[in-house]
Amino acid sequence: MSKTQTVQNAGAGAANVKDGPLDVFKYRWLFLGISLVFLLPGLFFIIQNILNPDIQAPVRLGIDFRGGTLLEYGFSKPVVQADVNNIRAVFDQRGYTGSVIQIQEPRAGINKQAVEIGAPSKSASSATPNVEPPAQPSAQGSQQTPAPASPESTKTEGPLASKGVMQSQPVKPVTPANPPIPASNANKPEISTPAAVSTTGESTGASGNAKVATIVSIRSKQLQGQDEVTIRQELSARYGTITLLQKNSIGPALAKELLTNALLALLMAYLLIVGYLTFRFQFDFAVCAMVALVHDTLFLIGMFAMFGALFHTEVDSLFITAVLTVVGFSVHDTIVVFDRIRENNRIYFTKKVPFVKIVNMSINQTLARSINTSLTALLTMLALYFFGGETTKDFVLAIIIGIAAGTYSSIFNASVLLAMWRNRNMPAPAMTTPATV
Amino acid sequence: MFKNFKVNLLVIVALVMAALFTVVKDHDKIHLGLDLKGGTRLTLEAEPTPDVPQVTPAVMESLQSVIERRVNSLGVGESVVQRAGQNRLIVEIPGVKDPDEAKRRLGRVGKLEFKKLNAQGQWINTGVSGKDFTKADLSTKQSGEWIVQFALNSEGAQKFGKLTSELAPTHAPLGIFFDDQQVSAPVVNEPILDGSGIIEGKFTRESAKDLVDTLNAGALPVDINVIEENTVGPLLGQSSIKQSLFAGLIGLGMVLVFMIAYYRLMGLVAGMALLVYTLLTFAVFMLVGVTFTLAGIAGFILSIGMAVDANILIFERTKEELKAGRSKWKAIEVGFDRAFPSIFDSNTTTLITCLLLWVMGTGSVKGFALTLAIGVALSMFSAITVTRTFLHMINNASGQSLSTPGALGEAV
Repeated sequence: MSKTQTVQNAGAGAANVKDGPLDVFKYRWLFLGISLVFLLPGLFFIIQNILNPDIQAPVRLGIDFRGGTLLEYGFSKPVVQADVNNIRAVFDQRGYTGSVIQIQEPRAGINKQAVEIGAPSKSASSATPNVEPPAQPSAQGSQQTPAPASPESTKTEGPLASKGVMQSQPVKPVTPANPPIPASNANKPEISTPAAVSTTGESTGASGNAKVATIVSIRSKQLQGQDEVTIRQELSARYGTITLLQKNSIGPALAKELLTNALLALLMAYLLIVGYLTFRFQFDFAVCAMVALVHDTLFLIGMFAMFGALFHTEVDSLFITAVLTVVGFSVHDTIVVFDRIRENNRIYFTKKVPFVKIVNMSINQTLARSINTSLTALLTMLALYFFGGETTKDFVLAIIIGIAAGTYSSIFNASVLLAMWRNRNMPAPAMTTPATV
Repeated sequence: MFKNFKVNLLVIVALVMAALFTVVKDHDKIHLGLDLKGGTRLTLEAEPTPDVPQVTPAVMESLQSVIERRVNSLGVGESVVQRAGQNRLIVEIPGVKDPDEAKRRLGRVGKLEFKKLNAQGQWINTGVSGKDFTKADLSTKQSGEWIVQFALNSEGAQKFGKLTSELAPTHAPLGIFFDDQQVSAPVVNEPILDGSGIIEGKFTRESAKDLVDTLNAGALPVDINVIEENTVGPLLGQSSIKQSLFAGLIGLGMVLVFMIAYYRLMGLVAGMALLVYTLLTFAVFMLVGVTFTLAGIAGFILSIGMAVDANILIFERTKEELKAGRSKWKAIEVGFDRAFPSIFDSNTTTLITCLLLWVMGTGSVKGFALTLAIGVALSMFSAITVTRTFLHMINNASGQSLSTPGALGEAV
C-alpha cells in the first residue's frame, strides 16, 4: 500500500544509496575463505574416517545404520575402568567380539531414585494361578464343555445343512475356573507358560529395589536370542544387581535400509528446496542457496566426523533429523536475505544501482534479524543441551552447530555468491556506476 | 480484518481459554512415547515359507491379529500393533518387565492344533493341525448371525471327516488351540466330510473375525523375524522427561528475556504472543494426540525459539520504516505487511523438511517432524495475528488515534 512512498524515500539516486556499514562483497574472498578454513578439519576427519577400517564411512555410524545392539546397564555397585576388560570378556566368550564399553557418570535423577525393577508385577503374579496347562481340565470343566447346543441355534441349521456345522462355545468353561481369577482377566487369552514370567523376571534383579551407582554402555554386534539375559545374569553374579536401562537392537538389513532412507531424505530435501526456490525466486538464487546448504551440511558432518574420530561419537537417525532440521533452518535464513534482495532489486534496479550494492544493502538490512533469530533458536537449544536429557544431547549439539553454520552461510556465503554470479553475468550496470562505499 | 481487532481479541481469548481447559482437563492423558514412559518397541518382519510363498496383505492381516492376541496375553496395557510397509509390524509394549520373553513369544510361528477330550476329560491331540486347513472366511447366515466358514485340503478333509464322525454322535467339543492356548471349543453337531464347514455360535463380528484370523494364521504360517528392538527402562524415561521440561522452561524464559531486553514494549508483546503460542501448541498436541518423545519435545522447544522469528522480522522491518520517517503506528502496519512474504517463504521450507521427515522417518523422527510442523504453522498465527491484536489493544488503551506519532510510546 505504500510501495511508492518507499521508492520516493530511498530512491534519491544511485550514488546516494546507502548500503550499510558492512561491505560484505568487498571482503567476499575473506568470508568465503573463512568458510573453507572451517570446513578443512572436518574434511580431514571425513577422509580419515573413510580410510579407517573400523569406520569406513564419513562419520562413525551408530547401530541404527550399521546394525548391532546398544545396551545401557545400571550397575548397583560402582564399576571402575579396570572392570571394563572383565565385562568385555563376558561378551567375547559368547562370540560378540569387538564390543565398545564405556563407563558413564550416573545421571541426575537416576542414581538418586530407588526404583522397582524386575520384581514380578501384580498383574503377572495374579495371572499365575489363573493359568494352568490345558491338558488338565477339572472335572467340572469337562462336564460343562460338551453341554448340548441351545435349541435356538439348532433351529437355524436348516438352510445350511449341506455344510458341516459346529457350535462354538465360550472358552471359559474348558479352562478350569480358579477362585482368584480377577474379572478383567477372565476374558483374556490364557498364558500357557506362566513360569517364564517369574523366572526371567528374577534375572533383572528380583530383589525389588535397585540403585544405580554406575551406568555402563555397551555397543556390540547384534545380540541373538536370550544372550542378553544370559550375559546380564553372568555379570550380575559378579557385580550385583544390574538394571537394564536401555536396549536398542537392529538387524543389519534394516540398518542398511534406514541408512538408504536417510540419505534419500536428505537428497530429496535438497531437491525440493531448490525446486521451491526456483519457483519463488530464480534458478541462480536456488543454486546459491544450495551451495550454502551443502556448506552447512558438510560442516556439520565434518564436526561429527571429528567427534567420531576423537570421542567415539556415533551418528544415528536423530542425527539425520538434525541435519534436515538445519537444512530447513538455514534455507529459512537464506530466504529472508534473498527476499530482501528481490524486493530491493525491484525498487532500485531502474535507478541503475548495481546488483552488488543491492546485495550488500539487503544483507545489512536483514543482519539484525538474522542474528536475533538464530540467537533465540540457539538459546532454546543451549538450554536443552545443558539442562536436557542425555539421550538427545548429540542431537541438540548437531542442531546448535548447524544453526551457527547456517547463519554464517546465509549472511556471508549465499548472497555473496549470488552477487558474484550476477556480477559476472550482468556486468553492464555494475560498470557504469561508481561503486562508492 | 485487522480493523476488527476486538473480534480478534475475543477469538484469541476464547482460544486461550479452550487451550487452558484442554491442558488442565486432559493433562493426565498425554501420550508419552516409549522413550519417556519405558517399554519395548519391536519391529517384526514376516518372511515367506514354503507353505506361504508370498506375504500378501491378507497374510499380514491375520498375522497382525495373531500378534495382537499374543501381545494381549502379556497382560500389559495400551499396547499398539501397527502395520508398516509390506511385510512389517511395529509392536509397542509399554512397561514390559521382560522384553526377551515378549520377543520370544511374539516371534514364533503360529501353531494351530485341533484337540479332542479323552475319557479323563483331558485334551489330546487328534493329528489335525493348521497344515490341513486352506482358508477361513467370515460370513453370515440368513438370520444375520456371524459365522466362520472354513475349508480343508484333501488330506485334511479326510482326517477331519474321520474326526468329526467320531465326535458328532455325542456332540463332543472340538478344541481349537493356537500356540497351545485354547481359542474356541465348538461342539461338533454332524460329521464334516466334504472338506468345508462352518462354525457358529453367539459370535459378534469381532469375535468371528478373531477366529477367522487365528485359523488363517495357522493355515498360513509365516516366519517372523524381530529385526529391531528398542527397550527403554522406566528409570531412564522418568528422569529424561523432567530434564527436558525443565530445559524447555529455561529456554522459553531466556527467549522472553532477550525479546524484552532488545525490543522493549514490542518485545513484551511478542513475549505474550509466545506464551499464547506455547499454550495453544501444547493444546493442539493433546487434541491431535501427538505422542511425546524426547525428540518431539526437542522439536517443540526448538519451535519456541523459532516462533519469535516472524516477530523479529516484523520488528526489524518496523524499525526501518521508522527510520524512513513514518509514524510509529504506520511503521508497525507496514512492517507487518512487508515482512509477510519472508515469513511465508521461510516457514514453507521448514514445512517441506518436516514433511520429508514425516514420510521417510520412523518412530521418534516422525514425532519430531510432527511437533515441529505444528509449531511452525501455529507460530505464524501467534506472531502475526496475536502480536498485531495485542499491539492494537495497547494502542487503544493509550487513548490516542492510530496515526498519532508516539502512540506506542517507546515501543520501537
